[in-house]
Amino acid sequence: MQIKSEIAGSVWKITAAEGDTLVADDVIVILESMKMEIPIVVPQAGGLTKLHVSEGDMVAEGQLIATLD
Amino acid sequence: MNWNKEIDEIHLRRKLAKQQGGAAAVEKHHEKGRLTIRERIDALLDTGSFDEIGEGAGVPDYDAAGHLKDFQPANFILGFGQIDGRRVIVGGEDFTVRGGSPNPAGLRKSVYTEQLALKYKVPLIRLHEGGGGSVGGTGNDKKRRPLGEPVFTESRFVPLAQTLSSVPVATAALGPVAGLPAARLVASHFSVMTQEAAVLIAGPQVVKRALGHDLTKEELGGPQVHLTSGAIDNLAEDEADAMAQITRFLSYVPDNAWSLPATRDCTDPVDRCEDALAAIIPTSRRQPFQMRKIIDMVVDKQGDGSSFFEMSRKFGPSLITGLARMNGESVGIIGNDCMYYAGAMTAAAAQKLRRFVDFCNSFHLPIISFVDEPGFMIGPDSEQAGTIRHGTAAISAVLQSRVPWASVQVLKAFGVAAQAHFGPDGYVLIWPSAASGALPVEGGVAVAFGREIAAADDPAAKQKELEDMLAASQSPFPRAEGLSVHELIDPRETRPKLIRWLLAALAAYRTQTPEPYLTGMRP
Repeated sequence: MQIKSEIAGSVWKITAAEGDTLVADDVIVILESMKMEIPIVVPQAGGLTKLHVSEGDMVAEGQLIATLD
Repeated sequence: MNWNKEIDEIHLRRKLAKQQGGAAAVEKHHEKGRLTIRERIDALLDTGSFDEIGEGAGVPDYDAAGHLKDFQPANFILGFGQIDGRRVIVGGEDFTVRGGSPNPAGLRKSVYTEQLALKYKVPLIRLHEGGGGSVGGTGNDKKRRPLGEPVFTESRFVPLAQTLSSVPVATAALGPVAGLPAARLVASHFSVMTQEAAVLIAGPQVVKRALGHDLTKEELGGPQVHLTSGAIDNLAEDEADAMAQITRFLSYVPDNAWSLPATRDCTDPVDRCEDALAAIIPTSRRQPFQMRKIIDMVVDKQGDGSSFFEMSRKFGPSLITGLARMNGESVGIIGNDCMYYAGAMTAAAAQKLRRFVDFCNSFHLPIISFVDEPGFMIGPDSEQAGTIRHGTAAISAVLQSRVPWASVQVLKAFGVAAQAHFGPDGYVLIWPSAASGALPVEGGVAVAFGREIAAADDPAAKQKELEDMLAASQSPFPRAEGLSVHELIDPRETRPKLIRWLLAALAAYRTQTPEPYLTGMRP
């Protein structure tokens, strides 16, 4: 499953690593947007197969953040 | 002599009409996992309450001896019925006959739907699945003269437009909906679509021919498009969920604009004070919080959950809109969602707000606004979207409101957009976390004190010093001291405070005669 950002911002912190096993609502990335720290969470359990962003990256609305198996 | 032959034919015609598009067409429809329009109406209404109108409308087919051998019914089913004991008008296309594209009798019945709702002043529900007009027409004999409707015939869009200011209208898209049915789908106060539905102005073949895009109907007009476009309010898991959401929506609104919403029994105590409210706003401005949790803690509980029924969640998501109950009274709820651009007002959020506020005024629903507004969304995309015009139109709608209005400022209220959260002569409560001003300290200091900061030995330290000083000056206490707000409250007191205000405000509001809400020009 593809995790996309619903907002634009920059990647402030990455809080999970590829290979991690996650449960629903786990935070994988924190974006900085409009001077606030907005967590991106996974909607369901799964393994984090790929992170498509790095800290400092600018992210657009709808951009792919991570892939979950 | 008796009338038995004619009476038998009436019953035969009814029986034939119930076959809809025929056994094969009905089976094909079921195989797609969809109900027929008659099954949908039965699922929506109280058992046995459907009272059909125009059951005999259609085209008979006779054998050589002049005996009735078949009957093609109108492909729009219409009638009165009851939902939770309340009278409604319900109608919808029969997809099993001509794919729901209107046949002559079907068109007449569909156009009559809105007229009936207006005449009897009852809520209107339309369950849509069907195409629009066909280049082949409705199947009328083209050689017939005179052709077409007289020029003085009232447009079918007149009653369609009038219903919105007169009766609650709820609609569902339960399959492909295109053309005229799509227009009627969105001429509603609340619309819902299933995952399998698609809402289209024109289908894939027409789009490919005209524009060269090769897209499926789901790609063109599926839920992922129309929940965010704002054309449709809510997603339904399946057809049963669509009916449940329509039923729930109706439970909050009166039968028409000349009536007030009903008061329901409420077992949730007025003075329920949730301790969690005291700490729900983070002390760091960088940390977000969940506005929906605040709403759920304040409004009436309902069953295991809350009485809050959210509408249009995916469109303009920085703003939350929905219906709820407070001590059994229906109210409209507005809130900022800081998870989306700090809760800033985008062009979409402004359009959503204007429509919701007009809806609440149309059906006499007091509004409670939970405020955390950083201002209009900034940046090139926001400018390109014309946010300032949409936002100013929303503010106009808010300040033309005639329903009782309360605002609870839980955190931010900055800039022009803050005005969109405070109704005229409204009741204003603020929390200790409330901060107000022309613009947030973080952005405003850099602009207003640019030279001073640049000239400092340590510009970053100077900027922080100024920000801290100004943030301290945004303390909510002076606003309470000056009676600039009704009260600075302990957040735990929010529910009892709001309910006591609401009961007083409603007592005054109810001395007026309810009537349709009509407004003038807006920006």
